[in-house]
Amino acid sequence: MAELRYVGHAAARPDAGDKAAGRTAYIHDLERPGMLFGKVKFSAHAHARIKRIDTSRAERLPGVKAVITGYNTPEIRIGFLGDNFALKRDLVRQFRDEVAAVAAIDVETAAAAIELIDVEYEPLPAVFDPVEALRDGAPLVHERDAKGKPLTSNQLPLRYHHLSGDLAAGKRASRFIATGSYSTQLIQQSCMGTAGCIAEFDANDNLTIWAKTQIPFLAQRDFNRALAAMGLPDSNARVIVPALGGGFGTGLDTHAYEYIAILLAHVVGRPVKMLYTREEEFACLSPRQSSQVTIAQGCDEDGRLTFRQIDVLLDNGAYASWGATYPTVMLLPATSLYRVPNVSFDAVLAYTNNTYCQAMRGYGNPEVTWAIESNLDDLAVAAGIDPLQLRRINCNEPGETTPMGLQITTCGLSQCLDAAARHLDWQHKRGQAQREPAAGPRRRGVGLASLLHVGGSGRIYRSDGSGLMLKLDDFGNVNVYYGGVEMGQGLHSVLSLGVAEALGVRPAQVVINQTDTGTCPWDVGTHASRGAFMALNAATRAAQQIREKLFALSEELFVDEVEKNLSKYRKQHPGYQPPSFDFRSAVRRDRFDLRDGMLVVKDGPTEPWAGVELARILRAIHFRSQGTMLVAEVFYDPPNELPNWDKGMGNMSATYAFGTQGAEVEVDTETGEVKILRLVAAHDVGKVLNPQTLKGQTYGALAQGIGYALTEQVISERGHIENPGFRDYKIPTIGEMDFPIDLEFIETDDPAGPFGAKGVGEPGLVPTAPAIANAIYDAIGVRIFDLPITPDKVLRALQQKHAL
Amino acid sequence: MSVQISLTVNGTPVEVRVEPHWRLIDLLRGPLRLPGTKEGCGEGECGACTVLVDGRAINSCLYPVLEAAGRQVTTVEGLLGARNRLSTIQQQFVEHGAIQCGFCTPGMVLATHALLTQRPDPSDAEIRTALVGNLCRCTGYVQIVEAVHAAADRLRADAATAPNADAATGGPDHG
Amino acid sequence: MVGYQYLRPRSVDEAIELVVKQPAARLIAGGTDLMVRLHQRAERPPTLVSLRAIPELCGISYSNETTIGALTPIADIVASSEIAVRYPVLVAACRTLGSPQVRNVATIGGNLCNGSPCADTAPPLLVLDARLRLAGPRGTREVPIDQFFTGPGATCRAPDEVMTAVVLAAPRPTARAVFMKKTRVCMDLALVSAAVLLELDGNRCGRARIALGSVAPTPLRLRPVEQLLEGAAVDRDLLQRAQALTSASVAPIDDVRASAAFRREIAGVFVRRAIEQLLGWSQP
Repeated sequence: MAELRYVGHAAARPDAGDKAAGRTAYIHDLERPGMLFGKVKFSAHAHARIKRIDTSRAERLPGVKAVITGYNTPEIRIGFLGDNFALKRDLVRQFRDEVAAVAAIDVETAAAAIELIDVEYEPLPAVFDPVEALRDGAPLVHERDAKGKPLTSNQLPLRYHHLSGDLAAGKRASRFIATGSYSTQLIQQSCMGTAGCIAEFDANDNLTIWAKTQIPFLAQRDFNRALAAMGLPDSNARVIVPALGGGFGTGLDTHAYEYIAILLAHVVGRPVKMLYTREEEFACLSPRQSSQVTIAQGCDEDGRLTFRQIDVLLDNGAYASWGATYPTVMLLPATSLYRVPNVSFDAVLAYTNNTYCQAMRGYGNPEVTWAIESNLDDLAVAAGIDPLQLRRINCNEPGETTPMGLQITTCGLSQCLDAAARHLDWQHKRGQAQREPAAGPRRRGVGLASLLHVGGSGRIYRSDGSGLMLKLDDFGNVNVYYGGVEMGQGLHSVLSLGVAEALGVRPAQVVINQTDTGTCPWDVGTHASRGAFMALNAATRAAQQIREKLFALSEELFVDEVEKNLSKYRKQHPGYQPPSFDFRSAVRRDRFDLRDGMLVVKDGPTEPWAGVELARILRAIHFRSQGTMLVAEVFYDPPNELPNWDKGMGNMSATYAFGTQGAEVEVDTETGEVKILRLVAAHDVGKVLNPQTLKGQTYGALAQGIGYALTEQVISERGHIENPGFRDYKIPTIGEMDFPIDLEFIETDDPAGPFGAKGVGEPGLVPTAPAIANAIYDAIGVRIFDLPITPDKVLRALQQKHAL
Repeated sequence: MSVQISLTVNGTPVEVRVEPHWRLIDLLRGPLRLPGTKEGCGEGECGACTVLVDGRAINSCLYPVLEAAGRQVTTVEGLLGARNRLSTIQQQFVEHGAIQCGFCTPGMVLATHALLTQRPDPSDAEIRTALVGNLCRCTGYVQIVEAVHAAADRLRADAATAPNADAATGGPDHG
Repeated sequence: MVGYQYLRPRSVDEAIELVVKQPAARLIAGGTDLMVRLHQRAERPPTLVSLRAIPELCGISYSNETTIGALTPIADIVASSEIAVRYPVLVAACRTLGSPQVRNVATIGGNLCNGSPCADTAPPLLVLDARLRLAGPRGTREVPIDQFFTGPGATCRAPDEVMTAVVLAAPRPTARAVFMKKTRVCMDLALVSAAVLLELDGNRCGRARIALGSVAPTPLRLRPVEQLLEGAAVDRDLLQRAQALTSASVAPIDDVRASAAFRREIAGVFVRRAIEQLLGWSQP
């Protein structure tokens, strides 16, 4: 492959300067003329009938411009099962249910008005545990579905099921079997910039909404449906995405507060801004889905995996959002992490009166990998095989098709295993705590875990497409219109590098325009680690189109421009003799190249006058009779399939990302404290597009993985979130990351990936928790099954072990 | 009942009416129209609202505005030099990949400024102590530590060659 | 409606006068606790009376005793080289309080008057036998710190009294002390904290002071464990007994931060380890 000029080299992000200067405008900073401020009133009960809402005192408060409830606004159903409502009427099913909202001249007035709204409830029996919720006689969270059909159970009408091979035969063929019941906790995405939007109608009743979203086009669809429900079937929603203070999955669904802002804006006829406080973010925005996973895995004498059986129970909470679709991604590691014939996967979801959950980075993969990789170490212990060796024996290889039908093209898992083991000094350190017990209470251990994730997007809708447009202007700027979003992951960085590389301009000439459904082509959303993969696949194709057009048009214009150049050069350099070169016959479209914004003839003279600036040639193309502009448009829809969810079959992605992480820990057996001494992360990324942003993504994911493993938990007590703030929801601080981190990126040069690259946004946190848990096991011989691994749990596990 | 106060913001004297119950962040983001300071939690836990008051890093979401009367306040905007040039610290954050979504960045940069003013050659441990009150969810902090070291090196080098310049900011001396 | 008056008296007398005239007013020091409560709407006082403009409340003076003005920021205590020499255990605890941003405004008086069982300055001040000066309309008084805390969030300070200073006796020549704090992440409240001060002669223990935070309704002096140690020759067996007695003497609760059982266990481990450290039998 030709040497790459920009892709593959560390580069500062184009948006970083403004962020450093404090100039970047997030939703928090945006203002619209005449803008009002909205606030929501949330339910006081986990499950109750609304008997009465009295908004009169709120309405009378000076500065309040509107008070709305489910009773004075048209009903807007939301959520992919249509089981949720923008404003609740008759019933509240969770503490964070939105029962009323206010628009006022400032936030303080709106907050005061909220307190003046009186709601009378009749509490109802509630259910907070999914097992309880599935029992006969449990209080029903929903009595009817969206179509009005009566429901008799809290089980969601979503079954995820996979069965391949012969499970019974697999079990019989097993010499060793390990089983376990694992759980993962509710996690708050904890974006530093909280959720919010500004909704504004124009005189034609068309809506513009600035939204903290990762799915501008799906949101447009959702909002258009809402507009229809509001009696505005011909109105259109335009979704504009400002700079985002983080995403991590919070923007993958639309939220009640957005519809409420829309309703308020329509009622008052002025823009309305809704912004969550940190407490509201914790208590009233959907967290990461929790899980209960039971697993059994077996292997034969030689350590070859014989079967894997996974059953998942999800506490869905009161309404269905993307937490309910985690099993779509859980299927990947369940069926395809390591080579395993005979796989059974089953997921059941139960409504409860707990908070409902949404997407977060990894989307079910960390939940199931937690069980698989912890359990695999238990299997290794049972079989007397080194855990690294067990993984090597069953390692995925390029060219396989997995039980789910995933077609593995490139696969760097074996290199990742080797790299992780090497950085951990596995051979020396594994088992050391047992071989050479230390004096004193501290014990050290090492552990590994691997991951498989989508690396070439993941088709979960009928379209998995991304459109992209390039528009060149008269000054040589390349305007990019892409419908995916920059949420800090570095999309704009790799996109500008990729466009520059593919087109032949300098990155500084690339301008990435704001994501806006009014101007950008359709994109399904920035999820599934697909941003760079999709944008660059579309961009390289669009760049190719531009080059073809440019070179074709240059055939008749290039020579004139070069001659002007030469003439000017001769005036500046009297006596100059140009090398002889027949430009007229050389100017054929297949002989041109564009390099750093300079149009040249390949193998022509390298003299300074022999190239024409892109801006000059563009103006020459434009400013003439029957002139033209250079614009290219590509809609890239990758070669992957929408799986059959009933069967759990389908090649969901165009390629797959692999990786192995390792941890070295020190456990204090008297306090239960787990100290991380080293983390290693080896990831098959296909191609490193920008080493600086790739490292940033990986370090950031590792930090989230550590929080998931050790310190983070949304604590919900009978549906009420007890720790709605950073005081008691502990994400890693800079102090937590005080150990060496070894990163190794394996470049497998994937044929489906732009420049060979695979998606990298999510993989970094998928195996971190089991790697740490496996290291803890190596250190102290106890297996923790429930995240987070708090010192309390470690101490109790040690006490239980010593009691035996 | 609003009150008139005088203070210095980013080197410029300011006279402004404030409500007694405002926090300093309400003044900065409100009438002073300096939106670089962000409110991440309102409870002094995340540090996104960090500004300097008389050179000390504080959480402006907890700082009663009337306590700022007569004091020197520095926000992220105040670190910029002539023609809006980024200060050394800001520039090193940019160059070392220490910025992803950027929401924590202004607070992080100011906390760094306070650190490097006190400790021009901080150890890793000192950097972590100084920035422990600035939460970041995106970066994992590693490149932030690298950026702080690089800024410290650069500032010390600049001070060695031009000892009278206030090299910590992009331009003229700030309070 | 939302909002409050914010008054900045220039003297202690003026401050006292204001709270006497407006019983619903709240005194505010650094504000890092109170401003959070106001943000959460847990309290809605009509008036705040700030103590930050009263110069005599801030600053540290040294004679035989050490007098720390109640409005002295925690950061100033951390930065004081003299305090580092006289009462290093206080500096050690202050270093862990909040974050640098919090320490730059939080005050020693505010930390004490907030009355939290997890107050970081309480365990060291308890083992140092601090005396707290209060001034009110009925005059000034000094309260030994082990009588100051009366319950979770409650102290014996009357609503119209201002804490003016923390007074520490001259450091005793053979006294050495250790502070430990259990947290979830590096910036955190104490799940358990412990200060242990011993006057040792070899392994013979003279005076002992042990104070724990977050394991009882108030910061707690562990007199039973002090009595176990005072006059004893400390050996491994005594350490185990001290650990067990500590665990038995505390009354922690389950809350979102930790379980009572965990706190009980850590309390014992901390006290034992602190004594070991003071004996030189282990490293910090």
